[in-house]
Amino acid sequence: MNYPTWNFPHIGSGWVIGIIAIVHVLISHFAIGGGFYLPMAERKALREKRDDWMQVLHGHAKFFLILTAVFGAMTGIGIWFAISLANPEGTSTLIHNFVFAWAIEWVFFLVEVTAAAVYYYTWGRIPDKLHLQVGWLYAFSAWVSLFVINGILTFMLTPGPAWLQVAGTGREATAFWPAFFNPTFWPSLFLRTLVCISLAGIWALVTASRIDAFAQPKLKEEILRWSAKWLIPAYVLMPVFFAWYLYLVPGEQRTLLALGVSTIGQGTFTQVTRTVLVTIMTSATIAVIVYFLAWRNPRDFSFSHACATLFLALAATASTEQAREMLRKPYVVGGYLYSNGVRISERDKFNQEGYLAHSPWVLEAEQAAWSAAPQDTPEKKAEQIIRGELMMRGQCIACHTRDGYRSLKRLLKERDREAIDNMLKMLHEMPKDSPYRAFMPPLVGTESERAALGDYLEVMRGKPELPSGTTAAGAAPGSAAQTPTAPPTPSGGAAPAPAAPAPAQPAEPAGGAAAVPGKQ
Amino acid sequence: MAEHEHAESGGESRLQKTRRAFVRLMLSAVGAAYAGLIAYPIYRFLGAPARRAEGMAAVTQVTVQDGERLRANEAKMFRFGTRPAMLIHHADNTWVAFDAVCTHLGCTVQFQADKQRIHCACHGGTYDMHTGRNIGGPPPKPLKAYKVEMKDGQVVVSRA
Amino acid sequence: MAKWLSRAPRLAAVGAYRWVDERLGLGEVLGYARQKSVPLHKHSYWYYWGGVSLFFFLVQGVSGVLLLVYYRPGAEAYNSVREITFDLDFGWLIRSTHSWSSNLMILSVFIHMFSVFFMKAYRKPREFGWWSGLALLGLTLFLGFSGYLLPMDDLAYFATKVGLEIPRKLPVIGPAVVDMLRGGAEVSEVTIQRFFALHVVVLPFFFIFILGFHLWLVQRHGNAVPPSEEAVPESERHSIPFFPNFFAKDLAMWLIALNVLAILAALFPWQLGPQADTLTPAPAGIHPEWYFMSQFEVLKLFGRWFPGAAGEILGILFFTVGGLLWALIPLYDKSSQRAMRARTTTWLGYIVLVGLIGLTILGYFDLD
Repeated sequence: MNYPTWNFPHIGSGWVIGIIAIVHVLISHFAIGGGFYLPMAERKALREKRDDWMQVLHGHAKFFLILTAVFGAMTGIGIWFAISLANPEGTSTLIHNFVFAWAIEWVFFLVEVTAAAVYYYTWGRIPDKLHLQVGWLYAFSAWVSLFVINGILTFMLTPGPAWLQVAGTGREATAFWPAFFNPTFWPSLFLRTLVCISLAGIWALVTASRIDAFAQPKLKEEILRWSAKWLIPAYVLMPVFFAWYLYLVPGEQRTLLALGVSTIGQGTFTQVTRTVLVTIMTSATIAVIVYFLAWRNPRDFSFSHACATLFLALAATASTEQAREMLRKPYVVGGYLYSNGVRISERDKFNQEGYLAHSPWVLEAEQAAWSAAPQDTPEKKAEQIIRGELMMRGQCIACHTRDGYRSLKRLLKERDREAIDNMLKMLHEMPKDSPYRAFMPPLVGTESERAALGDYLEVMRGKPELPSGTTAAGAAPGSAAQTPTAPPTPSGGAAPAPAAPAPAQPAEPAGGAAAVPGKQ
Repeated sequence: MAEHEHAESGGESRLQKTRRAFVRLMLSAVGAAYAGLIAYPIYRFLGAPARRAEGMAAVTQVTVQDGERLRANEAKMFRFGTRPAMLIHHADNTWVAFDAVCTHLGCTVQFQADKQRIHCACHGGTYDMHTGRNIGGPPPKPLKAYKVEMKDGQVVVSRA
Repeated sequence: MAKWLSRAPRLAAVGAYRWVDERLGLGEVLGYARQKSVPLHKHSYWYYWGGVSLFFFLVQGVSGVLLLVYYRPGAEAYNSVREITFDLDFGWLIRSTHSWSSNLMILSVFIHMFSVFFMKAYRKPREFGWWSGLALLGLTLFLGFSGYLLPMDDLAYFATKVGLEIPRKLPVIGPAVVDMLRGGAEVSEVTIQRFFALHVVVLPFFFIFILGFHLWLVQRHGNAVPPSEEAVPESERHSIPFFPNFFAKDLAMWLIALNVLAILAALFPWQLGPQADTLTPAPAGIHPEWYFMSQFEVLKLFGRWFPGAAGEILGILFFTVGGLLWALIPLYDKSSQRAMRARTTTWLGYIVLVGLIGLTILGYFDLD
């Protein structure tokens, strides 16, 4: 809680990163795969002295340069802005550990962009051999930048035991290499390289589909078939590397996949499983379309087919990336930092001394005034709500919005105050059998802070409405809201949480957990 | 279609064979993926009641451990087969047991001694603590009741 | 031996094909399909939308039958849909598929209709194709309307209630028609029961017959070529064989449609609202589904401009006459008939298209 929180209404800060990142992934992987595609195709064309090929490749190179150097680079920097706003704590952890890696990445990125420009603008102006070498230089530096970034990305899912041991001690740099070459580094690198190669093929299909089949039937056929082959490695090797990757993902995270199969339903519980379904289906369809049209009937392969293939590739990439992000839940840095910026090591401290007590956004004087204020006055109530909002901004807003994506209003719509308190208590204790444990961080803070959060949520949610939630359109499925399935309360620790005005009763039911005071 | 490009030499034809086998393998894999994605959900959907009946039939009777020590006006959670269930010892010394899965969206319900009711925290559904009848909130059906018997000083719960 | 074994399935398949071929003459059909050709030009893309609509109709058939296995019309309707959505394995996926596919089907039928219009494919001898297509559009909309009520959650209930306001304003017959549809003064279990009968028996029955006629006409007349393409000299025109080339492209389009459907159904599962409670007042801003929004908005606007019954009658009159003019276009669009590029008709098409979209969007901003 050292940084301000970023309240991005309706879609939430996560989707700001998500949208930028999905576009970036599609372009950047193409930038790397295309880096190999261009010199390899050029070498083939030079060897076979094919001027018509060279012409197509020249066009492709121009398109490539604009797409990667403009949109690729822009979205890449966009991710930087977005992550440092959405999760400053996580970004800070990454920078403190990997500033050197990032420096290396930037060097290669500069080489990459320069080489791409040189490659395109010296087309036909410098000796063929030298031109090819520029192409290879581009390919190499682009791939190295993936190599470096991959270390950082996989670190977030599996930081590895060596790093976790020194985490938070100030000596994290001593574990730089084990953190970089963390358990999922290699399978992920191979997976991403395969994605690069197949995306190079798919984008080349887009260029080749525009060749007029009546004017140059042979050329279209040759280039389409040659490009289609670029998809083969991915289809053969992907399952193998994917299995390897899953094998290395921590078991706790893997349960998210199983949770989606065993739980019936809709909401967050099944998100990973549902995205995996989409990935498999779109990948299978890409294979069918590329084989039966681009390979078997290249002359009939139209621009719209190519665009559809690209769209399916986008869907597949976006859903795998989202599944990967979901898989990391409830962490930003696995086993160290929760997705709302709370460190595991700080959990006890916050529970005892208070979450807001450690916030630089609350003045000490304010903090003191809060605890000193007399009970059950309107002033106290107003304060509680302010404190509750601070809690919400600090601990919920990283993943939830008030009224949009994973809307708190929607999720709380049918709950009365008692149910809200029960829920908060369960999130605080986070018992072993809670299904929320797999993807939500525990709620931290003192009892009074949690009560304040309850006060705030009750006010923000408005009146609980049982029969209807029907203000919004029928056509938009998300709006006809229902809470996600079945959040079972911990079966052992059922506790009566007295509703706000009622005095707490000492009754001790089923499991025997302490009662949550409604208000202090 | 690709084959006719190649000359009819021995080496080429072996390549063709391998390629054909490869394509066939890949297409079968793709076909299997499709079949799985479409057929598996349908299979599960149609088979759901049968599987549920099987799961139900597997367990007909459960002895609740330490159930007899339950004090009056208290409840205890236990497992009936795979499902959570709830044993309540009422103040008038009657014993009842219910399936503890809320009939609304499947949350686990809890006994509230102070309010004298069974409550589901997820959406605030309430049930009568003696009969399991749904008396408030969204639940559409009552909780399923089990039969409770005392055998040799132990609480035995069985399918009613 | 091993070699024989590996060839056995193929031999069996060939044998089976021959056996059927001798009796049913499959070869003739295939030969016909090979001879048939599909024109290829810059507007060819629009030829796929009829096929896409057909695909979604088939999906509706399959997913609808699956839902039928567990759906119980009448008083238990909501409860059975709740079971499908929350209790049964993958029930949410099948219901979500059915709902998304219905919307996609209506969308693709609309696209198909407008592409036929702009290609002037309703000209002689294809008038019956246009009319049977419009009948299919009407049935599709009616299927959508009747299906929407069946879950009987609050959205379904109120949207049906509001939706029935449109036909009720028909002069003279309106109230009688609506009472008959509703089976009483209010939307109730009785309404569900008859909407169910319409949705799964009556409407599909007529649909299949008209669809058969429509497809037969397509076979008979082949694909229409737009006037702009007719102007191109014969030697510069291109075409591809229906089988296997166009067929493969059509299949590719179906696969893409299936994927779009799967993405929507899996990532954005269709929701189920709380059970309809006839006693609660209608929530603010309740409105029919998007495909009825333009009519709804027209009624609203006319009601505002002309107070009293006059507004309603004028509103009804407006789209009755409009619909009639639209349906009768093959009879009076004489310039297109002479293979000229009829600018006026094209402009009429643009106005209708922009008008429909505009009214629909306006409808969403005009909720109270």
